[in-house]
Amino acid sequence: MTITTTEMGLAARVAGVSRRFGVGHGAVVALDDVSVGIRRGEFTAIMGPSGSGKSTLMHIMAGLDSSDGGNVWLGDTDITRLPDRELTLLRRRRIGFVFQSFNLVPTLDARSNILLPFDLDGRKPNVDESRWIESLVDTLGIAGRLTHRPHELSGGQQQRVAIARALATRPDLVFADEPTGNLDSRSGREVLTLLTEACSRFGQSIAMVTHDPIAASYADRILFLADGRIVDERPRSTPEEISALMLAMEATR
Amino acid sequence: MRMRWREYRATLLVAALSAAFGALLLQGTVLLTALVAGDAIGEKESVQVALSLVSVVFFAIAVYVGGIVTANTVGTVIAGRTRDIALLRLVGADARRLRAGIARDGILVGLAGAAIGIVVGIALMEALVLIGRSSGDLPADIPAVVTPMLVAPLVAVTVVTWLSSWVGSRRILAVTPLQASAAAVEPDAETIHSAVGRRIAAIVLIVTGALLLGGGVVMGLVTMLGVLVGMVGGILSFSGIVLAAPIVMPRVLRLVGKAMGSSPTARLAAENAVRNPARSSRATIGLVIGVTLVTMFAVATSSYYDMILRASEQYPEDYAGADETLAVTIGVFSVLFGFSAVIAAVGMVNTLSLSVLQRQRELGLLRALGFTAGQVRRMVLAEAAQMSVASVLFGVVLGTVYGWCGAQALLGSMLGGGLVAPSLPWFVLGGAVVAAAILAAASSVAPARRATRVTPVAALAVD
Repeated sequence: MTITTTEMGLAARVAGVSRRFGVGHGAVVALDDVSVGIRRGEFTAIMGPSGSGKSTLMHIMAGLDSSDGGNVWLGDTDITRLPDRELTLLRRRRIGFVFQSFNLVPTLDARSNILLPFDLDGRKPNVDESRWIESLVDTLGIAGRLTHRPHELSGGQQQRVAIARALATRPDLVFADEPTGNLDSRSGREVLTLLTEACSRFGQSIAMVTHDPIAASYADRILFLADGRIVDERPRSTPEEISALMLAMEATR
Repeated sequence: MRMRWREYRATLLVAALSAAFGALLLQGTVLLTALVAGDAIGEKESVQVALSLVSVVFFAIAVYVGGIVTANTVGTVIAGRTRDIALLRLVGADARRLRAGIARDGILVGLAGAAIGIVVGIALMEALVLIGRSSGDLPADIPAVVTPMLVAPLVAVTVVTWLSSWVGSRRILAVTPLQASAAAVEPDAETIHSAVGRRIAAIVLIVTGALLLGGGVVMGLVTMLGVLVGMVGGILSFSGIVLAAPIVMPRVLRLVGKAMGSSPTARLAAENAVRNPARSSRATIGLVIGVTLVTMFAVATSSYYDMILRASEQYPEDYAGADETLAVTIGVFSVLFGFSAVIAAVGMVNTLSLSVLQRQRELGLLRALGFTAGQVRRMVLAEAAQMSVASVLFGVVLGTVYGWCGAQALLGSMLGGGLVAPSLPWFVLGGAVVAAAILAAASSVAPARRATRVTPVAALAVD
């Protein structure tokens, strides 16, 4: 009998995943036989220099990209060879996304952006979900901005709306791709604190891709990627420790 | 700045179509004049004059439509390449030089397209004459229809392509070098700052055009030349409406959008259609022009028919054989208006696919958030449907006005003419609506397929 992902205490898992871009001499190995799990209820940071494969790993875990080999699970669902439609529904219902460039739908106001995952399913949030979204909006401090379009909001406010959208469906896992990359340092700290709270208060599992040691220092667990492999793993660390580790990794390359 | 070949494809096609049309009209006029010269009605000089006038008017209209389509195509391409342009500006390129480069390309593409079009036009006419001869419909001794005059459409199409490339590329001047480094946030609203000047210019054009159009109708009661005044008025006022399109079209689109329901795909489509006034007016104006033309000629033909009918009741002996002329005229007219609609259709298809091409990132976001491929396809389709319905409504209204004015100006002076009420042939209008709907569906097929092929990852790249 095999142990399920859930029984391992994991929200998502990859086993022996490889990904190669291009063919022949120009081919780039983005992921090289990676096996790793994202623990449930934890805030995990995936760190590494540019080109280390961290974004590719996130894309594959989120069902946005397919792997050349290995298996991918979200919860207990093996999503490795799921057809496009199933993957789409999975993303809609069980995954949340926070992106570097906010990526709100420019034609919709903040409220419609938050409700988009429900809209796509052709339903309204039920009483319980509505209450949850209301409390999210309050916590995130965007209650007064719900009728604004994205271009009328500051970067920090847009990212808060994006976080509310990602958390609204209470997904199995939220993926955050450099969520502070386009923010000033104060807004960046606020966003990181909000993500940390979502994890500690609501038990939301979060996987964040970043190359910023300060951002990574908010995480419960830090995975280090280099040249398509997991090269190290640390519990919560200070920015200084993380920087030192990154520098050491650069030196040994 | 070099543009890619695919970005010139629509321009080349439009130039070729316009030139081929011009060549056919010119040769057709020569042929018909030679043919009717011997007939009884041929002696009525007015028929010959009307024939030449009609040719000139139709060619002017086709070239005008082609010019607007080209200007819009260039404008859409430039809007999609803001970052490239900004980068060139950043490393020191002069905006005016860049723009002159685009206009220069316009001459070359226009010349190439026009040359192809003229050759095709000559070949088509030759084929028609051969068929006519062998079937005995045409006498064996008809003169050569290829004339040195064919240089005229070549020059006209080239010049118009050049001018419209120049007009369409004006946005280059507004691109700042900073836009090269700005985070890829959708530049909201293609700037409002030219709105006041645009509004004033539009109002001046519309008012002047309307006055001339009215003058043409009044003059038309006395002389056929009223149609020339009317044509100038029509072109001016329609240019004004085209200029005002970014202000007018979003309102029409919004109305139609409300009627499309409230599913997320319909809502997003409705919002997409009006999010960027400049882009949506560029996409719709082609179809507006097409439908306006179709309706205009339908109304004109039908009003003409009413006039002839009334006149032949009053003066039966003067209108002996008019039925024949009428049948030929209506046939010729339908081919003629169909042609401008084809040119407009090229514009619509091109703009919609370019606008989808420019929205890869957003489509990818929707896919990442859980839009199924089917929902994306329906969204693009709903967008096209909304645009075509709005354009058809607007076009039918405009076409009715212009058609009636045209018929009055050209034919009000004929024996037993005078003023008639505008006549709306319902079957033609119905046909226009159906054709527009089919066009919208067909034009959304390719973009929809491309939209569903967008992978979430490609669209989420930071750049």
